[in-house]
Amino acid sequence: MNDIKAKLTEHIKANFPGAAEKDFKGENRIDFSIDKEFIPSVLTYLKNTAGFIHLSHITCVDWLEEGEFEMIFIIWSPTDKLKVFIRTRIDREKAVMPNIDMIWRQANTYEREFREMFGIQFIGLKGAKDFLLEDWEGPPPMRRDFDTAAYAKDAFFERPGREDALDVREEIIKRSREEIPGFAKKYSR
Amino acid sequence: MINDKNSQKIVDIIQNWARKHSIWVLAYGTGCGAIEIPPTMTSRYDAERLGVRGAATPRQADVLLITGYLTTKTLKRVIRVYEQMQDPKYVIGFGSCTINGGMYYDSYNTIKVLDKYLPVDVYINGCMPRPEAVLAGFGKLQQLIAEGKANGAAEYKANLEKYRENQKRVIPNWIMPEYNW
Repeated sequence: MNDIKAKLTEHIKANFPGAAEKDFKGENRIDFSIDKEFIPSVLTYLKNTAGFIHLSHITCVDWLEEGEFEMIFIIWSPTDKLKVFIRTRIDREKAVMPNIDMIWRQANTYEREFREMFGIQFIGLKGAKDFLLEDWEGPPPMRRDFDTAAYAKDAFFERPGREDALDVREEIIKRSREEIPGFAKKYSR
Repeated sequence: MINDKNSQKIVDIIQNWARKHSIWVLAYGTGCGAIEIPPTMTSRYDAERLGVRGAATPRQADVLLITGYLTTKTLKRVIRVYEQMQDPKYVIGFGSCTINGGMYYDSYNTIKVLDKYLPVDVYINGCMPRPEAVLAGFGKLQQLIAEGKANGAAEYKANLEKYRENQKRVIPNWIMPEYNW
């Protein structure tokens, strides 16, 4: 297992400039960050020559404070029982990614969802504009700076009676006279 | 003689009695609440002994169950289904999501107050309502029908402009057919 991991790490580092291994002490998993231009080539390499034929997951993390999105591709090799994480960071304002649905066809579904929920553009992506939402006119809803409560208040009717809703945690504390633990304080209103 | 007020009353009583005992529910589930319908219908709670049973199409159904949260996308379909249903028709709002949004009160894509968009005859409280609560809701609906108070459909026809205005507020691209009843 360690042989395969070391060999693969070495190969990726030699062939893809800027590939940095992330220190992760875990069994059957290696973790790389790489520039977004090399994503299709590294995934093609892993699929065609290294036996990573299964695309497990694609996910996106919104690093609002750093102004970046992090895209993570998780692929799996059934022969080696090994997982590879490929990470890349893209700019939040001009979120453009290379399209990979010619490598795995099922990536198309993920990419359409990212386009709708995060506003990430995939170059040359085919498919209907709407994925889950219909006639959506607001900003992409899964971005962290989208205030969903304010949007809902503006867009939908509200039944009167919820305005005086009390903070459950504080009310229980008042009754039982316990201290709010430090880690819980930031969740109070 | 036929148009006599008292004879109409007798006809109404018989009509309501018959309607009360044949509540056919459209087999259409929105949200997570539809999972409570199979135990209500099957042998443990056996709703069919009260005359509650499933109907395959909107035109055969009497009751539209709104089981749980309603996204704006589903609302479009629900309105279309409701307008296809033939009189007598009733709506049951099921679960706290239809009452005040429930746990989806701050969601960007679910409506919070169902009775602004469709006339609701009975609300069933709970998240989720257990089959007992569902049966209690049907019992309440039967009671309202027997008393002639379940007039949601008539109210919808009378206030159609108001309902349309609310519906078009959340469905900007309105491509629905206009039914004339």
